[in-house]
Formats: sequence, C-alpha cells, structure tokens
Amino acid sequence: MGDLIVGISDLKISNNDNDVIVTYALGSCIGISVFDPVAKVGGMLHYMLPESSLDEKKARENPAMFADTGIPLLFKSCYQLGADKKRMIVRAAGGASILDDTNFFRIGQKNIMAMRKIFWKNNVMITSEDTGANHNRTVRLQIATGKTYVRTAGGEMKEL
Amino acid sequence: MKAVNRILKSINTIPAFPATGNKVSQLLNRIDYSVSEVTNVIRFDPSITANLLKMANSAYFSPQHKISTINDAVIYLGQKNLLLAIQTAGISKYYKKGSSGYFDKATDLWEHSVAVALMSQILSRKITGEENTTLYTAALLHDVGKIIMGEFVRDEMQKITMLVEEQHMSFLEAEELVLGINHADLGGKIAEHWNFPVEIRDAISYHHRPDLLEKEDKIMPWIVYMADEACLMMGIGSGVEGLAQRAVSELLKKFNLRMRDLEMSMVLLSDDLKRAREVISIV
Repeated sequence: MGDLIVGISDLKISNNDNDVIVTYALGSCIGISVFDPVAKVGGMLHYMLPESSLDEKKARENPAMFADTGIPLLFKSCYQLGADKKRMIVRAAGGASILDDTNFFRIGQKNIMAMRKIFWKNNVMITSEDTGANHNRTVRLQIATGKTYVRTAGGEMKEL
Repeated sequence: MKAVNRILKSINTIPAFPATGNKVSQLLNRIDYSVSEVTNVIRFDPSITANLLKMANSAYFSPQHKISTINDAVIYLGQKNLLLAIQTAGISKYYKKGSSGYFDKATDLWEHSVAVALMSQILSRKITGEENTTLYTAALLHDVGKIIMGEFVRDEMQKITMLVEEQHMSFLEAEELVLGINHADLGGKIAEHWNFPVEIRDAISYHHRPDLLEKEDKIMPWIVYMADEACLMMGIGSGVEGLAQRAVSELLKKFNLRMRDLEMSMVLLSDDLKRAREVISIV
C-alpha cells in the first residue's frame, strides 16, 4: 500500500487498488482528480499556472505546470491505462486567493477560470469542486473506491 | 504574565547570532582581502564549516570536483555565493526545531524560508537588475518570529482561526489581537537582538504590510512581501496561515510589473528549488 505523492507541477496515475494518490498544500494551485469506475483507473494533476503561453519551452519540458497542457496530459495518461473519457469522474480543489478581491494576485481565480474553460470546451463535467477562499488544501484519491477527499489546513478531512 | 510579555521575554533565550557571517562580509568588502583571512574566520565556527562544505558540494552550486576544504569552498563559491552560503548555513540552526503552532513538519518553515530567499533574488534581478545579499538574508529571516510565536499560536489557535474565518481578518491581524504582537514585529525584535542593520529589521517587521513603512524609497520590505506571497500561493510552507493575507495592491504598479512577471517568477523558482534540495535538507 503506497501513497503516490503528486508534487507541484506534477501528475500521477494508477490502476492499482492499493494506491492512494495524494497532493499536499494546494494554495493558488489546483488539484484535479479523475477516476474511471469501470476501468478502475485514477489520476491526479497539481498544476501551478493557467496558461502554457507564459513559457512554451517550460510547458514542453513539464506540461503538468500549466492547466492547458496538464489537463489534456492527465486524461491521455489515464486513457493509456484503459480509461474512457465518457466515464471519467472529475473533481477539483484549490485555487485559493489572498484576501481582498480587487488585488493583483489573481492567480487562484485565473487557475479556476482556466480549468472551467478547458472542461467546458471539451464537454467534460466537473462532478464536484472545492475551490477559492483563502485556505490551503490537501487532496487524496483512493484508487480502490474512487473516492476523493479534501482536507483544509488545520481542518477535518471530508469527501469531495 | 500577559502573553505579549512572555513572548518578548523569550527573545532573550535565543542564542546570539554567529558573528561569522558579519565578519566574512566585512572582510569581503575590503579590496585587499585574502582567501586565507576568510578561511581563518570560517574555520573557527564548526557548524558553519560543516554546512558550508555540504552546500558547496550541493547541486545548487554544482562543483566539477568534490570540495573538501574550506579553502576550496571559498575559492570555488566566489564572493557573492560564499556570503549566501555562510548566511544560510548560520541561520539554519535556528530553524531546527521548526515552529509547531504553524506547521505540521519541522522542516516546513525552513523550506519556506529558503524558497522566499531564492524568490527574493529572482524578483531583485527583475526589478533592479541585480541580486542582493542583504535582501537574501532578510528574506531568509522574514519568518524568524514564528520560532518563538509557534507555541503561543498553538495555545490560542481556536481564537485566531475564528477571527480569520468569521471576521475575515488576516492571520497576522488575528495574532496581534489575540496575543498582543504579530510574528513580523516579533521577528524584527529578534533581528534587533542579533544586531542586524535597520534595513533587515524593517524588511522583517513589515514583510506583510510594506505599505505601512513610511520610507518610500526602501524596496526591501516590498520584495520580501512579494516573494513571501508568491511562495504562499505556490503552497510552499504556508501551514495554518494559508492565504489569509492582506493584498497590498499598489505592489505591481510600484515596480511596473505585470501579472505575467509574477507568474514567470514562479516558474523560475520551481527550477531553483529543485537545485536547492540539499540546501533545504541541511536543517
């Protein structure tokens, strides 16, 4: 039984019942958990920024850094283990911002917008999400059950 | 005794700051310094000597050959990197115990501090065109107040989180209301206890509210603030505070920066952090 840890700008996939995929300390970054209940394939992406146009060279080296390169890679990686787009359950957490709405640090909001746009364009529904506000989150995906849990810093773990 | 008085009293229990860093920096500022003079200052400080060799051999400085003596380290690192390495090695020991009220893991505060220090240099290059070792030291020490505040924050956590969640206070404001002092002001006082220059003290005291320091020309608190917020957004060592931080919105305008610049600095920091793993592990 192993915890597969997803770092910042990283993704992990698994079809092993014993695995739990986990990402810690999402601030403005977003964690996306996907699961195909038939193929029993799951994956998690922890992206940092919305758009790969910021640094295309970096995006080629590490697609998981950006929403628009990381999300497609997460899905494609799951397909390779037999997952099917139509069956994928998508959950998202993160995208926190610092206080005061009119600030210049809108990376959290931009990350949320980028994710919604990509899923909307690709006809993928987000089943549940816990995004925004100003706290950090940890996300876990249990491959055995397909359940995703989110924990706020200092708070309780709850199912997403 | 009131919490604030107990907190202030704890400052005196912190051991004196190693003079090695200041002595080396004074030496390096002289035009005619010799490597052996520098080596002689360093080798009388065993904890710095050990950490300095570890750092010089780390991927961050990626030497071609193994560096096994202080003399080699001084020559290989060169003036600027030597100072960074000595300050990092010297400061790390204060972070060994971590800061339990704020973080789950003892190393989180140190990792965050190193990340903010590296980020301060990325931003300094962007804003002023050059790196700055004084800024690096200030950034490395910005959260030093948390070393003492940790246990007090832990005892009053419920009150503090309630103020943050229900009154929408920043974590810093809630600390101050509940404990009578916040970790930034306390950090400034610790830096004073260690006889650091006033610009480092100011950068620490005002790292959450650079707009309150009425010295417009001082950019160090602003850069430390920006570096800190960027690391918190990236989730590097934000602990219980999360992003309950005030946005100081004149920041980007003040330095003529765009959102894109802030995002790019995060990309650059990701690379720096990969190379700095050993630096983080010296604690």
